[in-house]
Amino acid sequence: MEFSEFIQTPKVEDAFLEVENGTVPVTACLTGHHLILYSHNGENKEYWILHKNVDSVEKRYSVEKNLLVLKCKDFTQHQITIPTADDATNIANSIETLSSLNNPALQYPFFHRPKFTFDEDGYDLFCTEHRFASLSKMSDQWRISNINLHFSVCNSYPSQVIVPKDISNEMIVKSAKFRYGGRFPILSYLHTNGRVVMRCGQPLTGQNQKRCKEDEKLINIVLGSTHRGYILDTRTTQAALQARSKGGGFETEFNYPQWRKFHNSLQKYSIQQESFVRIVEACQDRNASSDRWQSKLESSNWLSHVKDVLSAACLVAQCVDREGASVLVHGSEGTDSTLLVTSLTQVILDPYCRTIRGFLCLIDMEWVQAGHPFADRCFHGAQSNQRTRSEGPTFTLFLDCVHQLLQQFPLSFEFSALLLIHLHRHAYASGFGTFLCNNEMERRKFKVRTKTVSLWSYLLSVNVLPMFLNPLYQTRPGVIWPSVAPQSLKLWDGLFLKDIDPSPEVQRIVSESISYMEDLQNQISELTKEISLLEREEETTSPLLQNGQNQAIDCQNSA
Amino acid sequence: MPECIELTPMDNSKSPESTQKANTMVESTLTTKSDGVPLYPGEVVCVALLKDVTYLCPYMGALTGRLVVTNYKLYFYQGTTEQYTRCIVEVPLCTISRIEKVGGVTTSSRNPDGRNPYGLEMFCKDIRVLRFVMRQENRQRKTIHDKLQELSFPASNKLPFFACLFKEEYAEDKNGWTTYSAKTEYQRLGMPIEGWRYTKHNSKYELCDTYPHLLVVPAAASDDDLKQVAQFRSRGRIPVLSWIHPESQATITRCAQPLVGISGKKSRDDERYIQLILDANPHAHKLLIFDARPQANAVANVARGGGYEKADVYTSSELFFCDIHNIHVMRESLRKLQDACLLAHPNDDKHWLSNLEQTQWLHHSKVILAAATRIADRIESGKASVLVHCSDGWDRTAQLTSLSMIMLDSYYRTLEGFMVLIEKEWLSFGHKFAQRIGHGDKNHSDSERSPVFLQFIDCVWQITQQFPTAFEFNEQFLILILDHLYSCLYGTFLYNSERERKKEDLRKKTKSLWSLVMSLRDDYLNALYVSAYQNHVLLPIAAVRHLDFWAGYYARWNPKMKMQEPIQERHKELLKIRDHLRKKVEELERQLAAKQNASSPALTIPQDAAALSV
Repeated sequence: MEFSEFIQTPKVEDAFLEVENGTVPVTACLTGHHLILYSHNGENKEYWILHKNVDSVEKRYSVEKNLLVLKCKDFTQHQITIPTADDATNIANSIETLSSLNNPALQYPFFHRPKFTFDEDGYDLFCTEHRFASLSKMSDQWRISNINLHFSVCNSYPSQVIVPKDISNEMIVKSAKFRYGGRFPILSYLHTNGRVVMRCGQPLTGQNQKRCKEDEKLINIVLGSTHRGYILDTRTTQAALQARSKGGGFETEFNYPQWRKFHNSLQKYSIQQESFVRIVEACQDRNASSDRWQSKLESSNWLSHVKDVLSAACLVAQCVDREGASVLVHGSEGTDSTLLVTSLTQVILDPYCRTIRGFLCLIDMEWVQAGHPFADRCFHGAQSNQRTRSEGPTFTLFLDCVHQLLQQFPLSFEFSALLLIHLHRHAYASGFGTFLCNNEMERRKFKVRTKTVSLWSYLLSVNVLPMFLNPLYQTRPGVIWPSVAPQSLKLWDGLFLKDIDPSPEVQRIVSESISYMEDLQNQISELTKEISLLEREEETTSPLLQNGQNQAIDCQNSA
Repeated sequence: MPECIELTPMDNSKSPESTQKANTMVESTLTTKSDGVPLYPGEVVCVALLKDVTYLCPYMGALTGRLVVTNYKLYFYQGTTEQYTRCIVEVPLCTISRIEKVGGVTTSSRNPDGRNPYGLEMFCKDIRVLRFVMRQENRQRKTIHDKLQELSFPASNKLPFFACLFKEEYAEDKNGWTTYSAKTEYQRLGMPIEGWRYTKHNSKYELCDTYPHLLVVPAAASDDDLKQVAQFRSRGRIPVLSWIHPESQATITRCAQPLVGISGKKSRDDERYIQLILDANPHAHKLLIFDARPQANAVANVARGGGYEKADVYTSSELFFCDIHNIHVMRESLRKLQDACLLAHPNDDKHWLSNLEQTQWLHHSKVILAAATRIADRIESGKASVLVHCSDGWDRTAQLTSLSMIMLDSYYRTLEGFMVLIEKEWLSFGHKFAQRIGHGDKNHSDSERSPVFLQFIDCVWQITQQFPTAFEFNEQFLILILDHLYSCLYGTFLYNSERERKKEDLRKKTKSLWSLVMSLRDDYLNALYVSAYQNHVLLPIAAVRHLDFWAGYYARWNPKMKMQEPIQERHKELLKIRDHLRKKVEELERQLAAKQNASSPALTIPQDAAALSV
């Protein structure tokens, strides 16, 4: 297939791009992945708009001009005036088609050859083996299982997973058959006190309330004979009951006597998507009178999702850290709400996840490798007219929750909010392969590892990394307990209301101030060196100085 | 003033060190301690209930401890030994606006949980509601209640404010009463300036008793003219200079409404005077008059003898209505905000945002900021001169002039400049602090009370949020001002006008709040301040979506709302390290230079450290 099939008007002269203070004349060129605008106003600037980033193209034609408004998934917006209506329509159609190509092999990362140099390949950075190596220092109860090497047990799990040491592969296979999507319970997080967070898909008990001895054994073995654990079902009791009629279900007290179960009420990704659409609509609608702003914000329910997710994560963290109990988390599929809760729990509990490397590792392990279907969930953004039913802002919701934590604990995170904004953008449209496809199996099929570059390689490269550092960061051990009071949760301005976000400026000032202090520090050491050098010289030339008497020097000078 | 130092189970933020730090800070300003109660010089314990008192904290439930009433504050704390006390509630008595006896047989109101504890309930001006429960025997409650009634309302009881008993000593060079001198401030603005002159006509407050003694008026207006104009302006508040643009000579002037009345009176003198203000600005063709009120209110005022400048009479001016509501609307809005903050109902959590919206508080802030931004913009980019008034010219007018001055002039964004601004636009121009706050007055439902000044400080905070690097002072400074707006510990905000304050001889009898600020200057500095932005005019976006609820002030009594990590402390620490390093560099350079001079005087002196400053 050739991209040119979709491009009727490859080039338009005399177009205009609206910028902050007026318009600039541009030449617009369409390629397979970009709309490129070359400005003629002497600056010779180029604007590259990635098709995949365009969420919707709005055609506003009038007698005076044919305006295309490109609304992007990162909430930027571009307004381009095209001389003829035909060309405008052609361009709009091309962008719409090219931005929603389904085939992963046609995505930009496969064509993108980044120019930066990197020391580490992001695809090699975070793997189950590394993780296992570090956690085996804390506990010898676990092992790596290769049972899923060919993705035959669970097609959304990675090839290697960490499971209890004493559980055989046969038992795992049986348990997988009992769990939705084959997502048998695996280790998500090992806390310093030895307690763990595990995650899985819902048990397939169905109406008949089937049980699976192997599954029970698999999770009971984590507790040993004495401890009790908790199962957090992210759905409401009602929803969990309803799931039975579709073959799903939940763990009954009777079959899992060592576990105490509680239900949470995290909404499904489709409901979250509705909120996402509403909040973006409210934020993007700059002309509307702002009188009903707070009501709009509230009725979008976005912040209440944030609150629910944070509360659920706090609950799990409390069980683990305060009560010293292990927790098993699942919803229905175990690929969305489940991951939200387990990953946030780790940010709360584990200081390593608040470093930049630890955070990327967390995203890699708990989202990318854990089989969060990025391709499906982030296919369209919040402003598209052609939504599919599998879309959801789960990952963005996670980033928002982390942002709330960052706001409340401004000294505990090594990275700044800018990193979160970039992650949002790359999850939806990127030149890097990290967020391509829905799971490891698909990525293997399309050879993502070898044919694309990892986002982590880019973010961790020497020239890029400093951009995302939080200058105020101090290594702080321990757990951070966030407040989920409604007054503590704030709309994420930097993401949703881009036009006014002073935080980059603040960050710049603080970094400048800190580097100025480093300069001073250097000056001090140089001056000290010079002084001691002089002192030594003087020692050799004038032994009198040792007494530290200035008059002696004066005498010598005058002499 | 800590409400609850105690932590909720979900809160691990307060490490032992930080609590300790807070304690030492208190000790630095408080000299003596009586039975574990820190006291200011001049403060004495009046009543102490050492047991069987319970504080019903709205956030943490019942806490038992000791209740002490001094001549300055109510203090509730826990602990038995002097080393081991923990303050739970500290509230200056003048901050209390209403004290009620609750429980027992006398009242029928019952708590939601069905119990009806016997005790006292206090409503505070800083939006706290405090409930104490005590034993019915021994007439404990009566003793406390009577003492509180007496000491909380000194003005009603013909007693002196504690400010007059407060014996703190501040260093000579930290005397806050010298912060502001009208003359110095006008000189800073460039006086003498062509077209303007000083007048001492009000030195005995005869022209206008709510204006300061020194005024700047158009040079072409004679003192007789001023008298005539004063006849036509409400309460004699004639248009006078507040601020002048250093380059374009565009001005902000302020006054009260013209006394047009139903008969449609005119004043030739007033019209000519307005023309003179316009003439003093070589760039302007029209004087822009910003009437802070909604048009309907301005019209309604005509019936009461007031009015506004009609276009056919004031041909050389253009009139805009800013739509800012009156003190009663604002008072009601704050009352609703107070309710919303309490989150009393279980459903309030879910409806916090729409409840906040219903208070209209942010909407009012938006309207005020929008008008001030418009004024600043017209002056800066349109080189126009602006006259601001409302009805009396001491509430909304002060909000608008001072906010636009902050936007236009970076001096007012410094710590000293902001104190000067408050001294000038609010205190000297007669914002009726005593009435609006009700200092020491027991009439809590007085309809003259209104949070006009709070709203101004809130708006300033909003601007600092949009421009976090443009202000030399920090949030703590704004909160400090508000706390002492109510506390009556300092004389600064007492009484209604410069005349009254002079008559009461406050400079001699009381300390200025600015003395405290100057003594603890470092605590109120913004580490993010970039002085390089001096020439920037700030034009904040006045849209509700860009305004925030000031949780750091309104929700600060909720321990869950405490800043989880001390970013202020960290900023301060960074500033300290920076200063220390700078000094060290300078010192070493001096040493080096001395040594180099000593050994070979021909060597060049290393570059100055100051050249590197950020």
